Amino acid sequence: MSLKFIGTEKHMHDTIVFPAFDLTITAGEVAAICSNVNVREQLIDILLGKKLLSNGEIQYSDEKKLAFFFLNEGLHELLTVQELLKFYHQLYQSKQSLEEITRLVQLDSKKNIKIKNLTYSEKKRVQLAYILIQNAETYIMEEPDQNLDIESKRIFIAVFNELRKLQKTVLVLTSHLETAVTLADKIVRLDDNGLHVIQTEEGESEETPKETVIEDEIEEKIVQPIRFEKIPTKVNEKIVLFDPPEIDYIESTEGQTFLHIKGENFHCSFTLNELEERLLPFGFFRCHRSYIVNLQKVREVITWTRNSYSLVLDDGEKSSVPLSKTKMADLKGMLGLK
Amino acid sequence: MTFSWKRVNAILQKDFKDFSRNTAVSIVIFLPIILAAVYGRMGLDSIQAHYMNINMTFAMVGTYVQCCLIAEEKEKNTLRGLMLSPASTLEILGGKSLLTFLLTIIIVFFSAFLSEYKPANITIVAFAIVLSTLFYIGIGTLLGLVAKSVMESSVIVLPVIGIFTVGSFVTAWTEKYPILKVAEFLPNVQLIELAEKVEQGAGFVQVFSNLGIIGIWVVVVFALTVVVYRKRMID
Repeated sequence: MSLKFIGTEKHMHDTIVFPAFDLTITAGEVAAICSNVNVREQLIDILLGKKLLSNGEIQYSDEKKLAFFFLNEGLHELLTVQELLKFYHQLYQSKQSLEEITRLVQLDSKKNIKIKNLTYSEKKRVQLAYILIQNAETYIMEEPDQNLDIESKRIFIAVFNELRKLQKTVLVLTSHLETAVTLADKIVRLDDNGLHVIQTEEGESEETPKETVIEDEIEEKIVQPIRFEKIPTKVNEKIVLFDPPEIDYIESTEGQTFLHIKGENFHCSFTLNELEERLLPFGFFRCHRSYIVNLQKVREVITWTRNSYSLVLDDGEKSSVPLSKTKMADLKGMLGLK
Repeated sequence: MTFSWKRVNAILQKDFKDFSRNTAVSIVIFLPIILAAVYGRMGLDSIQAHYMNINMTFAMVGTYVQCCLIAEEKEKNTLRGLMLSPASTLEILGGKSLLTFLLTIIIVFFSAFLSEYKPANITIVAFAIVLSTLFYIGIGTLLGLVAKSVMESSVIVLPVIGIFTVGSFVTAWTEKYPILKVAEFLPNVQLIELAEKVEQGAGFVQVFSNLGIIGIWVVVVFALTVVVYRKRMID
């Protein structure tokens, strides 16, 4: 009845897609895995049996197959809703009442309309009816509420509640935390660093108005342990935010400040003094009048002459940053030398 | 997994509705009928003329429709859903083939009726036609597996229509170019030969070699289809 991931692990071309993790989804539970698209696609391919796990296994009741709700599912466009659902009903030799399912996804009034004349959200509801007809034990839903209208989202939430009542196991795969929070009870984030459980309050996912509140709480909870200290930069018209540890060094030329990150320059509107103040707690060091360096990235200190020094960084290009004489004394102090 | 007629029937019904509403594909079935009517009115009643029409029906309906039905599932991204369903590949292809088979037989019957073709021995001819239909459906399935869209399928089916309808006339030049003797082994040429023998009052024993050759074609095409199918599924 349940879906179990045991030590599930995937590598591809020497890079880790996701490291080993354990996750159990019991019957009557809706779980969501928040991940980027790569991880999601890999997971689906693995569940489909198209790709193999590098390690570990996934267990589920074999008697009835998994039911998949794909993001890009094709429907036979020339058939009407009723004909199509009847076809699936016969194909799966399902014993469920077709009328009931049609009512559940609220397509009664569209019964005799051809699929191609439906809106995107309505097609998604047909697809939802399709997987309900399958009457599987475990449902895998890929981005279920992406691009849906409000009415359909409401229907999806109702269907999810119905599935909970029927003691089904549901796994939602999504990139959006919002989707996960609105639909699921158990939310985890999966990326190349592993699995992180995101805590939610118990028993409040029923009513819509409260959901926004819960959402905010979660948002805060994730953020709180790390102080929000992103450095904004401008790329063309966009603002890109960088985590301080990503930055290799900061340079000021002709009154403009540039962040150097993995060999690329990004313009930043703050002055060096402002940045120094903000970045001091992250282990940054003002090594020169026009340079701030991330000390974690410094590999070597080179002495050219008595008064001229340079810092060589551990980034890909081994870039060097000048170090002024007065600052050398400070640096030595910080390093505990002399 | 057990073979279920209910599922085959469901696929057959679905494909029939799909097919009848897709005018771009379903219109081809009228072509042989119209041509047969014209031939009948023109008073052409040689075996060659009758069979050019029947062979065209095979290629147009048996091969083209089958090819489109499979390619369409691929193009519309619906094949994955069917594959994940309890229906096995045999049932999916079975349902589609059954529709094409019925269509082909019905169209052949109507064109024969309109072109006023009355075979001397209906049993042998009917048997040969059913066997040939299997061959053309096999070709259609094969091309359907190769084609990625309906558009593509209507292009790759052209050589098949060419070879198996006009190809019958190639035999006229075999004396000049001995290499064309190979064409005599084509299933359509064999079918014509068989029909001519039947007109001269031949029984099952006399046409056995023709039936045998068509049978071998059927086996070869089905084997090839299985090979291609396996290969495609690995991709």
